[in-house]
Amino acid sequence: MTAQLIDIDAPPTRRPVSALARRNPTVKLALLFVVSLVLMFVFDPITPLVLYLLALGAVAVTARIPVKVFVLAHIPFLAFALGLLIVNALSRPGDVLWQSGVLRITTEGLLVGAALALRTLVIGVLSIGFVLSTDGVALMTSLHQHARLGSRLTYAVLAGYRMLEELPREWQTIRQAHAVRAPLRPHGKPPRGLRQYGRAAFALLVLSIRKGERMAQSLESRGLGLTPRSTWRRIPLTRTDWAMAAAVLTTLTVVVGLSSFLGFLEGFHALNT
Amino acid sequence: MRPDADQKETAMPTASAKKRHWSLKDLVLVVVLGVVFGFLYWIFVQAWTALSITMGPAGDLAQHFLLGSWLLVAPIAIAIVRRPFAGIFAEVIASVIEVVFLGSMVGPLLFVAAAIQGAGSEIPFALTRYRNYSWLTYALSGLLGAGLVFFYSAFRSGWYGQEIFLLRLAIQLISGVFLGGLLAKLIVDALDKTGVVDNFAIGRDRLARA
Repeated sequence: MTAQLIDIDAPPTRRPVSALARRNPTVKLALLFVVSLVLMFVFDPITPLVLYLLALGAVAVTARIPVKVFVLAHIPFLAFALGLLIVNALSRPGDVLWQSGVLRITTEGLLVGAALALRTLVIGVLSIGFVLSTDGVALMTSLHQHARLGSRLTYAVLAGYRMLEELPREWQTIRQAHAVRAPLRPHGKPPRGLRQYGRAAFALLVLSIRKGERMAQSLESRGLGLTPRSTWRRIPLTRTDWAMAAAVLTTLTVVVGLSSFLGFLEGFHALNT
Repeated sequence: MRPDADQKETAMPTASAKKRHWSLKDLVLVVVLGVVFGFLYWIFVQAWTALSITMGPAGDLAQHFLLGSWLLVAPIAIAIVRRPFAGIFAEVIASVIEVVFLGSMVGPLLFVAAAIQGAGSEIPFALTRYRNYSWLTYALSGLLGAGLVFFYSAFRSGWYGQEIFLLRLAIQLISGVFLGGLLAKLIVDALDKTGVVDNFAIGRDRLARA
């Protein structure tokens, strides 16, 4: 998940190695958005399960993410999904499946919980594929080229991205500077805790605002916002990208359609048992 | 394409006087706020995820207490820039940074949540025509920010029909008022005192009043 932060020196022009990384970033983002949106209205476990398996296979084949990275990236999603499953199983009225004191698990709760958990996993695995195969700079450039994002906004965000890359170091510096000057606690260690974090966060905010003002001045003095504007490295949008979009949307339609035909599909009403 | 109107901004005394283009300075400020808060959230979320895993099912409910902190960036941006849509814009930029550059696990649906949140936080300020920055306005901003997005989150996460639905709502509203509203005023006032925002609408308004 942190690949974007660490991967500072990867040149944006390096020819991407995996098939998914060669696809147009705007198309990928749009597809991720559409799939997430459709899944928001699906409340049965079968449909997202099928979609999860398909997405997992597709990302594994096309993104060439090392297995270890892929598994590690799953942990936050799995934890979140597990939480959803447990909470829903315990907190929904319905046929009691198991009871012990105040705790009871209902069938309805389990089904809804599984549906929500699997939905998280589908969006999760697609997000992993997207984030690990997409360069942030290429995405912004592509949004500018293909989604008519204004050039001032595009470059302001890109400047923000540069700033983001420096933030971990700034944070470290501020924390160390505070630690050096802070009065030591009785056992000889610098103070820690929420208050110290708050102080460092505020210093980081002030520093960044000041830096941002300088950044805006230098962007403006270099003529940002003038038209027409040329782009140094254009991001391609090819027929293959449209083919990928068609494939993803067809798969989504077929799975949801089949699920509805076979009677598995449940909508929002599944919650109001 | 029309040329940008930024050159003229120095002639304008207050933010409410110019309604056309965002100046690049304001634009970058909002991006910077998004970046810094995105980064701080990222540190925060890592600590939080570990904690909520150890808390098991209670973690799902416990994290509502901190919901308000996600609203912070909107009132801060509005108070500094003092122009329409600053809050929505700041929230959406922050969410873009979280999803695109930091790999947030919510995925692109976060953009939608951010826009709703920003709109909620912005309504109280918009009703005062971006003139009133009292504790009450901030508190209402936090309340509405948390209140609006709650119904979206509830739909997305399937909270409807759960027995703890109202408990969730209550916790989130309280958190919104304190962490998403009143805390924002503390931060804005502290920033104003340092002088870093003197060149923005907030500083100009202060000078105009003095």
